[in-house]
Amino acid sequence: MDSTESNALKMDFLSSDALKNRTSMEKISLIVEKVKAGDLLVMEGGLTPSEEAELIETTMREIDIENFVGIDIYTLEKDKISFFGLSKKKTIGITIIGPANVMKSVKKKSNFLSMIANLGDSGASLH
Amino acid sequence: MRKFFKRSFFRNIFNKLIGKDKKLKIGLYGHPNSGKTTLANTMTSDWLGKPIGLISEIPHETRRVYRQERVKIEYDGVELDFDIVDTPGIATKIDYKNFLEFGLSEEEAKERAKEATKGIIEAIKWLDDVTGVLLVVDATQDPLTQANITIMGNLEARKIPFLIVANKIDLPEASADRITSVFPQHTVVPVSALHGENTGDLYQAMVDKFN
Repeated sequence: MDSTESNALKMDFLSSDALKNRTSMEKISLIVEKVKAGDLLVMEGGLTPSEEAELIETTMREIDIENFVGIDIYTLEKDKISFFGLSKKKTIGITIIGPANVMKSVKKKSNFLSMIANLGDSGASLH
Repeated sequence: MRKFFKRSFFRNIFNKLIGKDKKLKIGLYGHPNSGKTTLANTMTSDWLGKPIGLISEIPHETRRVYRQERVKIEYDGVELDFDIVDTPGIATKIDYKNFLEFGLSEEEAKERAKEATKGIIEAIKWLDDVTGVLLVVDATQDPLTQANITIMGNLEARKIPFLIVANKIDLPEASADRITSVFPQHTVVPVSALHGENTGDLYQAMVDKFN
């Protein structure tokens, strides 16, 4: 973990502007690097389906059994209405990605996400 | 139903001999323990008279891709000829400690975890090769998971036709309706792969979707 305190949780918030000029590979490297370091990443927007698949693939390569057991990903969606308001489809508003051993308990509704982060013997609650 | 399958088995052999064949590769995708191999076994037992792979209650029993070539099903006079590609369950995390609960030694659990990571990579790679997919979802669990969303997103982006198989409907806590309500735009077929329940509806849906 980046933090000097082992029981601290570092959270990084990334705007969509911070990611838009990065290639898929750069985005995935950034995510995996941060999550492997124990950080929780909150991103505006989401990944494309092929980036999601690539992220899972990269995660599998990085799992080292003892220290890094993978990731958890959660998304909150929002409605995107077309120009004439004729069709409505869902797009990803926020993506939360973190180490699987930290994101212990997640309750999700369509517009609400509640997460309990476990940090060693202590716990942190994020709502 | 079973007698019908057995009769068709011999007709299928004849059709294979005369070379009536199409290269359709149907991948079975889904979470670990959603019942992919159980379904593949039911399908190959019904149509070929033999199972495809081993099943167990321990997650990640299937850790490499298994392929059964030339399965031919017939429904309402329409034939569907395909290869079954049974893939390891897709997950975003693998913790070897979860396997210890099933009585594996620490060494076995770690080895299983390592193999499972490779299996997931292989399953994702196969998305480039399959021409149709059965997304097998455990109807007793919340279907709205990242693995299911990623699989479906990739299938839609690649324009690969797929059916959602709501499996384990024999269990009292199963709810195929929950899956339908979460994915209303897709065809959901409730089955019990273990008991062969409703598999006729699945074969009909496969013929309609993939033919």
